[in-house]
Amino acid sequence: MRKVLLEGLAVAAAGAALAFAANALSPRGLTLTRNYFPNDTHLAANAQPGTNLLRPGPEANAGVPVTRLETQIRELGLRAADSNLVQQLFQDPRRDQDGIVFVDARDAEHYQAGHIPGAYQLDYYHKEDYLAAVLPACLAAQTVLVYCAGGACEDSLLTASVVLAPVVPKEKLFVYEGGFTEWTNNRLPVELGQRRSGRMLEAPR
Amino acid sequence: MSARPLSTNPTRADMLAVLARWVLGGFFVYMGMQKAVHPEAFLKLVRQYELVGDPFLLNTIAACLPWFEVFCGLLLVAGVAVRGTALMLVLLLAPFTLVVVKRALAIAAAQGVAFWTVKFDCGCGAGEVLIWKKVLENSLFVLLSCWLLSGRGRPLSARFSLFGSDETESEIPELEAFNGAEKQFPSPLLSSDGRGRSDASRSANAEPP
Repeated sequence: MRKVLLEGLAVAAAGAALAFAANALSPRGLTLTRNYFPNDTHLAANAQPGTNLLRPGPEANAGVPVTRLETQIRELGLRAADSNLVQQLFQDPRRDQDGIVFVDARDAEHYQAGHIPGAYQLDYYHKEDYLAAVLPACLAAQTVLVYCAGGACEDSLLTASVVLAPVVPKEKLFVYEGGFTEWTNNRLPVELGQRRSGRMLEAPR
Repeated sequence: MSARPLSTNPTRADMLAVLARWVLGGFFVYMGMQKAVHPEAFLKLVRQYELVGDPFLLNTIAACLPWFEVFCGLLLVAGVAVRGTALMLVLLLAPFTLVVVKRALAIAAAQGVAFWTVKFDCGCGAGEVLIWKKVLENSLFVLLSCWLLSGRGRPLSARFSLFGSDETESEIPELEAFNGAEKQFPSPLLSSDGRGRSDASRSANAEPP
């Protein structure tokens, strides 16, 4: 039995060392010292008793719409954009000159598979890779709209509040609550691959 | 690495245990990789359990646990440190199953549905699953791990035990029984030291000239 315990300890030690090394070497690895959810502390301080504004509730994964995101957007001093406003912004001619900037907060895999035409990518969990391209555009724009998958996804809120809000005036920042899911459900144009690739997804009939 | 000699015939239970070792190992490699390639998605799921508040601990769990699972899975498939790895899997699976059940109970209460019908992404690497399936699966894996922990699954292993010899007789009940019988009823073909017996016995029993 002692041998088994020793062996277990050896496996745990070797496995932990390998896991740390693999995370450090992986291009998708997490930065262990980074606080990915700094809003938790802020929202917890302002949360009403009995309401958990920190995380999507238990129903979030079960396909039940989560509307608490809008409350969180307001709590953080940002502005929520509904489907109508997003479509107005999309059709605004200023968007062509980057006067209105759309920011996609999803990861590269999802972005490449389809995004709102002309949207910049800013993956919240790997922001260093995108900031150089996105930040100047956001600073110069009059309006910045951030979206992610929608529903229980908080990445748009995190990107807007944690990455953009410290440098971009909050009055310019909008968070699209419905996200890309709502956008595609409304059968609106979808661009494939890189930004301004010109490749569009044909709308399902 | 020392492979176990094939001189001891593996029993059917041994071969089943080897199969269990491969299935369990393969499962952990697959599930671990699913999470390892999307660590941020796993991070969000771990966060929902509200197990730890400290960002560093949360990140460490989300970043390292998937790779640790892959490592344990590979050890089982290769048959290295099998009992120690099985012990680690029991220590991972048992508390994780309890945490998943606790969360499923919270979802059931929030939605007003029966516990067994709850379906959610538990962060196991397979997306949304029905809770009863997950509990059943984890229970089966805990049992398999306990079986391997008892010393089964030795054939076709690269190095079953890290410490000590793989062929320690007292660790293999079947071998011990076999050897006991061998002592009681000596084989006509083998001597006690394992060498060919026929010549030795022939010379011992030979009448003096």
